[in-house]
Parts: sequence; C-alpha cells; structure tokens
Amino acid sequence: MTSALDLANLPDADVVALAQQGREAAYRELIRRYERPVFSLVFRMVRDRTMAEDLAQETFIKVLNNIDRYVPEFKFSSWLFKIANNLAIDHLRRRQLPTISMHGAPDATTASRIEATAFDIPSDGESALDELEARELGTAIEKAIASLRPEYRSCIMLRHVEGRSYEEIAATLDLPLGTVKTYIHRARHELRKALEGVR
Amino acid sequence: MKHRHLLPNEIDLLVDGEVGFGVAPLRAHLRECAECEAKVDEAREVAIALEELPHLAPSTLFSERVMSQVQVFEPWHVAARDSLARLVPRSAPARAAAAVFGSGAAIVLASLSIWIAGRLDILAFLSGTAVQRGREVITSLVEGVIGTAFGPAALSFVRGTGSVGLIIATLALGGAAGIAVMGVRRLATASSRRAGGS
Repeated sequence: MTSALDLANLPDADVVALAQQGREAAYRELIRRYERPVFSLVFRMVRDRTMAEDLAQETFIKVLNNIDRYVPEFKFSSWLFKIANNLAIDHLRRRQLPTISMHGAPDATTASRIEATAFDIPSDGESALDELEARELGTAIEKAIASLRPEYRSCIMLRHVEGRSYEEIAATLDLPLGTVKTYIHRARHELRKALEGVR
Repeated sequence: MKHRHLLPNEIDLLVDGEVGFGVAPLRAHLRECAECEAKVDEAREVAIALEELPHLAPSTLFSERVMSQVQVFEPWHVAARDSLARLVPRSAPARAAAAVFGSGAAIVLASLSIWIAGRLDILAFLSGTAVQRGREVITSLVEGVIGTAFGPAALSFVRGTGSVGLIIATLALGGAAGIAVMGVRRLATASSRRAGGS
C-alpha cells in the first residue's frame, strides 16, 4: 500500500495513475496539492470567498469524477486550472460584472471617453466576510488585479503566481500564444499604471 | 538601438528573463539608457509583487466536501490484487515464515502428485473394481424389483435387451418412484389441511 508520504513525493502523473486505479489516498493527495492554487486563482477572479469555495469544489469534483479521461500527454495541473478558469469566467459572465480598467473601458479611445468610463473601486459597508476578504485582497496589487479584465487576470496570475510558461497558459486557456502574450503585456501595463501612485 | 527607446514587448522580454540573440542588444541599451532601465525596473517590481502573492487557503473542510461528492471507482483487477496483498504478512519475519510454510506445502503437494502419478494403474484398477461392484448392486436391485412387480417373463425380456434395456428399466422405475413419492406427499398435505380446516 502506498503511504501518504510516498504519494507526496510522486509526480502528478503517477498520483493520477493511482487515482485511476481507485486509490482514495491519491484523490486526496491531488486535492492537497492543488486546493490552494485553484482556490487562489478562482478567489482572485470572482472576489467572493463563498463563491470561490463553491467553484473550486466544483472544479475538483468535475476533474476527479472524470479522472479516467485524463491523458498523460497534458499536465494535470493545466487541466485543473482550465476547468477552474472556465467556471470562474462563466460565473462572472452570469453575474455580468463590469470589469473596467481603472483607466477607462477597453474600447475607450478618446480622452473624454476614457474619463467617462474610468472608475474608482468603491468601499461600502463591510460584513465580517467582506472584512476578511478585504484583508486578504486589500493590498494595492490585489486591488489592481481586481480592476483587470477577467481574461487578463487569469493570464497574469497563471504567469506570475503559478509560474506557467506562455505556452502552458495558451494550452490551459485554449488561446493562441500571441493572444496570451498580448493579454499579459496589457495586464502588466495596466498594473504598472495602477501601482504608480502607490510607489 | 541607440536611436530609440525599448518597445513595450521588448521590456516584457527582459522582465521574463528571456535569453537569446535578440535580447543582448536590449541589455546593451539598458546600460546606456537610464529611462528604459527605470521602466524595466518598474515592470520587474510589478512582476515581483505578483510572484509574492500568497496562495490563499480554502476552508478546512474543503477536502472532505469534495470527497463526499467524488465517486472513487476501483477496477476489479485492482480489488483482486489488493485482496491478495492483504494475505501477505507485513513484517519481514512473518513473510519469511509464510514463505517457508508455503514452500513446504508446495513440496508436499508436488510429492503427493508424483506418488499418485506413479500409481495410476493401481488407482485405475481400484476405481474400475468399484464401478463394477456398483453396477452389479444396481442390476440385482432392478432385476429384483422387475421380477417381483412384473413377473419372470418381464425379467427375461429386460435381460434379453442387454444393458440398454436395463438402463431404460432403471430410469422408468426411478421416475415411477418419484411420481409415487410426490403423490403421497400431496395426499398427506391435503389430508392435513382438511384436518386443520375441520
């Protein structure tokens, strides 16, 4: 029997193979490895702890209930992040949250239009949960990330928080490589602008 | 490179730590242009701030909630292998003892098989004798019943047909006996119901 210690030292592909053999410990190991990265990604996308937990749970349930469909040619983590990102994006679309850059809507081209569509992140009365979220996501960089478009947000977080290469991000998000580079470039630009006043 | 500043995508290349032919001139430009160097530094600060973002933790019951909705499917061959694996002792001394005992049992069984194989002729003779004896018992029993029930003429007829006739007669007697037993049981059941009803 593979002990928990043994599982912790195995690469993802081996743990997934054990899960495909019905080892419950392997399922738990996969959750242990990726619950924080997946939750972090989703939380920073939807900015609601309760919803982020639900979406992260749904991600793992979908993946683990279909573990027999996993093909080793692709990274397990890429598959996991792909589903997490899709669920987060779907949630944001259902809520139809306007995600406008602090420097105006993406389609704003004139100075007057940019000024009309720019906004400050409001701070209203907070519940205990809101306070926790604010503490967690209250830093300048977190607020700046929140102002990004969802597509930019997921790309920049996969790049810098998860350390994925451009090619991995493109495969994970089903985007062309050039689009990923563009999104990351724009995200960095917007974040630099957002953080200018803080430095 | 001296006549222009770095383009945004060139700044990205440097921030990403790219190496290659195209990057060397960019680095060379940085050494000469304070403005571009400042921009690259700013971009690196943003990248560092992002890379230092913590992984946030979900609730402590997250794993249990997930597992409560996951169907863990164990293929049959894995279950069979696990069942066999449970028979194997865990400690080394116990495994050694089990190996010794298993080897001894295997040797005994092998020896017995060889002994039996060497005496197959005796076994065949004994089994043939037993079969012949059984056949004689059944034949005399059937002939006795036919002679008693149907008379000497019927007995002579059955003997004249040989073993086929004897087999048919045996089956017929067996079937008749079975029908008789079923009939008696039904009568007994019916009489006990009448007795219970009244």
